[in-house]
Amino acid sequence: MTTATPHVHPRQEVPSDDPRVQLDEAVGVFEPIPPYPPRTERESEFYTLGDGEMYINMGPQHPSTHGVLRIVLKLDGEQVVDLDPVLGYLHRGVEKLCENADYHHTIAYLDPLEYISSLFCEWPGVLAFEKLLDVEVPRRAEYIRVLSTELNRILSHSLFMGWMALDLGGLTPILWSFIERDEIAEMLAALTGQRLLFNYLRIGGVNGDLNHEFLSRLGDWMSRATHQIENNLGLLNQNEIFVRRMRGLGVLDKETAFRMAVTGPNLRASGVPLDFRRAHPYSVFTELEFDIPTRDEGDCLARYLVRIDEIKQSLRIIDQCLHNMPDGPIMAKLPRLLRPRPGRAYAAVEGPRGQYAAYVVSDGTDQPFRMRIHDPSFVHLQSVGVLMPGHLIADAMAVMASLDPIMGGVDK
Amino acid sequence: MARSFSRLTLAGKILFTIFPILLVLTGGLIVVIVVAGKPIVDFLATNIWLVRFVVAATAVLLMSVPSAFLIIYMEMKVIALMNLRIGPDRVGPFGSLLSVVHGLKVLMKEDFSPTGADRLVFTLAPIAVFMATIMSLLVLPFAPGLFGVDMNIGLLYLFAVSGLSVVGLLMAGWSSFNKYSLLGGLRSAAQVVSYEIPLTLSVVGLLLLAGTMSLNTISTNQAGWFTNWYVFQQPLGALIFFIAATAEANRTPFDLTEADSEIVAGFATEYSGMRFGFFFFAEYVNVFVVSGLIVTLFFGGWNAPFPWPWPIALNIDPGSMGLGLLFALLIVPPLLILALAAPFYVGRSTLPWWQALIIGFVLFNLLVVVAIGGWAFISWDWVAGLFWFLGKSYLFVFTFVWMRGTLPRVRIDQLMGFAWKWLLPASLLNLFVTAAALVVVHR
Amino acid sequence: MDAALKRRLQDRFGAQLIAPIQQRHDETEIRIGAGDVPDVCRALHDEPAFGFILLADLAGVDTGDVMQVVYHLWSETTTDWLRVVADGLSREDPRVPSITFLWKGAEWMEREAYDMFGIAFEGNRDLRRIYMPPDYQSFPLRKDFFLPDDAARSPGAGVRHMEQSHAPTNARAATMIRKSRA
Repeated sequence: MTTATPHVHPRQEVPSDDPRVQLDEAVGVFEPIPPYPPRTERESEFYTLGDGEMYINMGPQHPSTHGVLRIVLKLDGEQVVDLDPVLGYLHRGVEKLCENADYHHTIAYLDPLEYISSLFCEWPGVLAFEKLLDVEVPRRAEYIRVLSTELNRILSHSLFMGWMALDLGGLTPILWSFIERDEIAEMLAALTGQRLLFNYLRIGGVNGDLNHEFLSRLGDWMSRATHQIENNLGLLNQNEIFVRRMRGLGVLDKETAFRMAVTGPNLRASGVPLDFRRAHPYSVFTELEFDIPTRDEGDCLARYLVRIDEIKQSLRIIDQCLHNMPDGPIMAKLPRLLRPRPGRAYAAVEGPRGQYAAYVVSDGTDQPFRMRIHDPSFVHLQSVGVLMPGHLIADAMAVMASLDPIMGGVDK
Repeated sequence: MARSFSRLTLAGKILFTIFPILLVLTGGLIVVIVVAGKPIVDFLATNIWLVRFVVAATAVLLMSVPSAFLIIYMEMKVIALMNLRIGPDRVGPFGSLLSVVHGLKVLMKEDFSPTGADRLVFTLAPIAVFMATIMSLLVLPFAPGLFGVDMNIGLLYLFAVSGLSVVGLLMAGWSSFNKYSLLGGLRSAAQVVSYEIPLTLSVVGLLLLAGTMSLNTISTNQAGWFTNWYVFQQPLGALIFFIAATAEANRTPFDLTEADSEIVAGFATEYSGMRFGFFFFAEYVNVFVVSGLIVTLFFGGWNAPFPWPWPIALNIDPGSMGLGLLFALLIVPPLLILALAAPFYVGRSTLPWWQALIIGFVLFNLLVVVAIGGWAFISWDWVAGLFWFLGKSYLFVFTFVWMRGTLPRVRIDQLMGFAWKWLLPASLLNLFVTAAALVVVHR
Repeated sequence: MDAALKRRLQDRFGAQLIAPIQQRHDETEIRIGAGDVPDVCRALHDEPAFGFILLADLAGVDTGDVMQVVYHLWSETTTDWLRVVADGLSREDPRVPSITFLWKGAEWMEREAYDMFGIAFEGNRDLRRIYMPPDYQSFPLRKDFFLPDDAARSPGAGVRHMEQSHAPTNARAATMIRKSRA
């Protein structure tokens, strides 16, 4: 199918003596409706306009889509009737790149997938490799992994909080959440060397041990974290406008959630107490004590509140990790050149957005044969097609913000 | 000559360019006045409307431009401080020259209109919006004697004129050939129209109490102690008016017309350059007008919160001081400068003496300004009135800016529901209760 | 390693399995043919003994000889992940029935498998490209994918010299594609 009929695009036959004129004529007036005839049932259903409906293009550049996402909305006045998300603007071919890289190098490729929660993108890959290699990770490394990833979870959730408010019009909470994030980013920079794309987990352990600067920043922050977070939340949780806009909006009930393969806080806000740290424990989560915040309503407010409660649970976990940190090596002894046995492995972790997973097929060489990355934002973005119709445009943005998609993960 | 010019410093170059030009202009002006002075004055005397127009335009610009500049800067700086960040701090001390720079930037941008836009309407829309705002400055009483026209239907005129902005917004939304602008324009038209009614109804109770629609008279009625202010007699009316005024001015939480997380910039998406500058400007002058209106109607206008016996005459007769005056003028300023410079010189050991003197000079100037201002404050009632009016207005402007920094925005259907289901009945209730109370009191 | 699960799967789906059930660490893997996918998945979803209500992942794999579609499922009744491998899809015309009737959330995952491999999911109402531009000609994650010719046929190619791809005219598909012994 690669060498199928060599279809020459008609544009190539245009002579190119004055490039600007040629380009203008070629581009024409932009139409969000695709120029080709619709090829699938759904496409023809969407691209047929009813009476009084219009298309509006929330294009790849927009002040409020969470990255480069294009959504073609079919509107009836201000009400959204249907929508068609168009992806691929941030597609970087990570899976193909991983096939040509060593096992160690793939970790750096996995980071920028969901750049906000990059440790969670590395973790399933690393776990899958460890399964293929039958490597046992030392306990200290496991505790450090849990510690750093819980910090990453707080990073991600505070950004969610700020972003949610920004999409509703409040300018202040996002800047306050960036103050939170900055402190944690500095902490993690002291530990991993990086503020955003950490590249910290390694096959068999972590990259560097806890150092004095990290621990002092962490201790300092932990002593005021709860109070600071409460302050930041006071602006939003008791704000009548904020609550009224989010309550009852975009209700995702249990059956729909399972049908749409939703995981993570979105699922827990719909009444299902499914958390892979408890349901399918990995790492040292069997030894840690934490609750799983669940709410029943399934609306935007519930999703928001579940994430806020998760921040508090993360603080508990970090506390326990610090108190119970064992001594020992931080990385298992592994050869430089890794050649796992041929086989397949699947690993999943519970990240701030849902289930991050990796399915690795190895063929015995030093490069993965197939590295499949499963990413929660990709799956959750399908739900906007189910949740948005019937609401107004303003609500549409709120619904999308509450599902917390990160386009890096959606587009891989 | 060219060589010696090029050897000057920048300051010297500026001076030596501007100075001759100024000289030439002054000379030319003198020549014109000498030669054709009388015919010009005669012409102007017969066409006094020309003079009035120029004076009025100057007054309007003087009132609106600085206030808009100040509000723009205030918004950026105050919201920044609420967001725990610094805000503008490069242009001028604490970034205070920011608005000037913004104004220049807006003037220098490329002024284009998008393909497919209705050029005429596209150009006229900002003018319509701006006009609506400027016309409402006509009746606002800044101080006793400082107002445009004292119409006895001043309030009615004001509401009528502020409704003209709807036309401008609709023109902008439609003519931009952009669905986002269309949505924004329609939203804003719906919003402004539905909040006009609670706005006007909430004030009718006040009109019953005041007996007149003239804003000047309403201000004078609130003289004396602050308990005379109408806010204590019409608290519900004041609250409704404040909320409706926020919606009229398209401010958060009712700023869906320019909600930039949903419909990029609403009706102003396709505007750039001076056209956008007009919209921007009109919005901020509108904020000032609305604050001024709240202050005039409910918070005493240009009255101080306490009764002040204007004017207080300082019985200083400069002539009687004689030679002592000369000595005072020659000796007191240097002494004051030295006195003000001394603490800085003594306190900071690394400060050169001339820098301390400069600081002393600046402080001395400030002191003189404050003294003159204070003397004007107590001598003329219009200076004091202007001070109180502007002070109270800017307190309300600060409240508007504060709300923008804190609150998220409401949804269009929540907004309309609120106007029609809550504010309208509340303002009617207010009206009935006021009318009933008046009937009972008069009986 | 859930032996009870292995027994239950063997008893229920013994006829449809084309390879022995493999278990390693916390994964159980069954291999079925492409045509059996809807029945097996419906049984796994609906029957209370299995109860695999959560679709964790849907992936396409190109093993060099055949194509596979790999489903990962989760259930409350077992501690293992269940991997269902629909094996034996031909590389020229891979077709699998879609499972969007069970999980609507699989729609985009199937679109991605189509986009990357060319696997046609019959029954998916919206089988079009998701990452690549709509008139892209090849399927990137296949093992015989090579780059130069495809960009030239996409709308991304401009009209100016610098915006077009000038691939060598004798560019040919890779003669030896990577195969997996897994």
